[in-house]
Amino acid sequence: MFKSAIAIIEGVKAALQAIRANAMRSALTCLGIIIGVASVVTVVAVMQGFTKQINEQLSDLSPDVTSIKPYVALEDQMVGKQSKLSYDDFLYLKNKIKQIDVMTANMLSFNFANGAQYQNYIHSAQVIGTDSDYQKLYKTFPEKGRYLRESDDEKRRRVALVGETVIEKLHLPENPVGEYIKLAGKWFHIIGVGETQDSFLGFDQNNYIYIPISTMSTLDGGDRGIITIRYRLKVGADEEIVKRQITKILRQRHKISSGQPDDFQFETAKKAKERTKELTTSITGVTAGIVGISLIVGGIGVMNIMLVSVSERTRVIGTLKALGATPGFIMLQFLVEAVVLSLFGGMIGLAIGYGLSELISLMIPNLSDTHIPTWAVLLSFGFTSAIGIIFGLAPAIKAARLNPIDALRYE
Amino acid sequence: MSKVIQLNEITKHYQMGDQTFKALDGINVDIDENEYVAIIGPSGSGKSTLMNIIGCLDTPTSGEYHLKDKLVEKMSETELAQQRNKSVGFIFQSFNLLPRASALENVMQPLVYRFIPQSERQKQALESLKRVGLEDKIHHLSNQLSGGQRQRVAIARALVTKPHILLGDEPTGNLDSKTTQDIMKLFDELHEEGHTIILVTHEQEIADHCHRVIRLVDGKVVADTRKKTEERLHV
Repeated sequence: MFKSAIAIIEGVKAALQAIRANAMRSALTCLGIIIGVASVVTVVAVMQGFTKQINEQLSDLSPDVTSIKPYVALEDQMVGKQSKLSYDDFLYLKNKIKQIDVMTANMLSFNFANGAQYQNYIHSAQVIGTDSDYQKLYKTFPEKGRYLRESDDEKRRRVALVGETVIEKLHLPENPVGEYIKLAGKWFHIIGVGETQDSFLGFDQNNYIYIPISTMSTLDGGDRGIITIRYRLKVGADEEIVKRQITKILRQRHKISSGQPDDFQFETAKKAKERTKELTTSITGVTAGIVGISLIVGGIGVMNIMLVSVSERTRVIGTLKALGATPGFIMLQFLVEAVVLSLFGGMIGLAIGYGLSELISLMIPNLSDTHIPTWAVLLSFGFTSAIGIIFGLAPAIKAARLNPIDALRYE
Repeated sequence: MSKVIQLNEITKHYQMGDQTFKALDGINVDIDENEYVAIIGPSGSGKSTLMNIIGCLDTPTSGEYHLKDKLVEKMSETELAQQRNKSVGFIFQSFNLLPRASALENVMQPLVYRFIPQSERQKQALESLKRVGLEDKIHHLSNQLSGGQRQRVAIARALVTKPHILLGDEPTGNLDSKTTQDIMKLFDELHEEGHTIILVTHEQEIADHCHRVIRLVDGKVVADTRKKTEERLHV
């Protein structure tokens, strides 16, 4: 143990000396490793930033809200099977399920995909059909004017609540309440401006127009709209019982025979969080893996330069052997040198990766602080050391096997 | 006086295609403690091969070689290395100092392979450098030293392990005559102090310093003469 320690110290000394003596060459040798580590670190840091931001945003989602969405398994989608929740499904459930505190729906319709018009300005905004319970469910309040009311829905009024971006793009007055905009060929009366939200991953969150879901359903023509139902239970209600009730009703309404799978699914904030976590973890893994290949290229560079180094120092190796260096000692020394060289590249790469990720977090607005987790630092050092050992092995064995007599005579 | 080196029917054969080249062909030589020996002979006579075997850089094809009490025969690379470190102090024609290392670091190097702690290595190396008169040059790099100074560093490095033999391979081959005299004087002194010295050379004036001259021709000892005290050269 103690003997190996001395060999390692000697190896580190020799390595630092060699790096100093050939600074330029060492830097170029390490380039592959520098680039490799820098990219891995940057990717991981940025992905961590994204994950952190997504989690922050998801924790804003009300944890007690459950969504019901149409769902068709991928293999069924491929044979053209579709599913949807209808406006009537929504109304039926809303009246039928007693355990529910609030239930609302979001509807998207192709008829509204052309966007909104005000005077000569046309802007493509996300037009969503919903009802007054949306406000109750999310406890959101209008900046100006009022929110959608129950009576708007009952009377299928052509009224609209707009987001900040819509006002800006359509050149609406600062207080647009009372103005009219054209949606799907009809004039809608602006009744309010919705709460301004921070952008999410660079996506604008204020480019929306809310209209009563009954109005949208009427203008949709043929029930082609896509509906997501959201609800919150009454305090003390059993989540599973409600889910079973809803499932039973929807299966009946959709005429699904027993044995066939549901054509809808429930989703909660918790479930969404788990899914994003899975997704970001696998994206991080895959990208880190891909850029990790450049580390192998870097390792070949290290091997190359170590082979050159062994040739250059043949006489020195001969001398060391004459002085009593055992093959094992020489081998360990050159292995350590390769590891030091790789680690040197790893450290520079880490610094560059750190700088790059800082830069990226400055360039992408609202991206949470990128951060380099300790495991990534340890992993990149572990990986570069491993690269040093693996690719240093061949040169080290070559050095250890040199015949001392020939090595001493080497010119 | 105890024997340091016993060479018994040593042969070294090299296979070159179909032919066997006999670099050494039955060498029988004993060297006692504190002997001062020159091995001379024309090039190709086998003196380098003999030196390599004595220095444990190589093993003989046949025959027995005892270095002190140890039989150096069919040793592994690792055992040979340990033997070199323990028993032999090499002094090379071209000094073979480690580049980019100071005189002190050069002299400390063999002690690394004895796994001696740094401070102790430094202490012993300093003593050794003092012995060769370079205590004021310990931090000089080898390229900042003259040829004679470099060879003194090499001698200090050979001495630092307190080996059984000092083995010089043309130790003054790269030095001018004035420096050669200085270095030979140092060898003379080391011999006086009790060291066993073996020099491989083809220069008569080096051989003149030694007290015993072994002449090799074609891998065989053709002459082995010990000088009487009055014949010895005193500088």
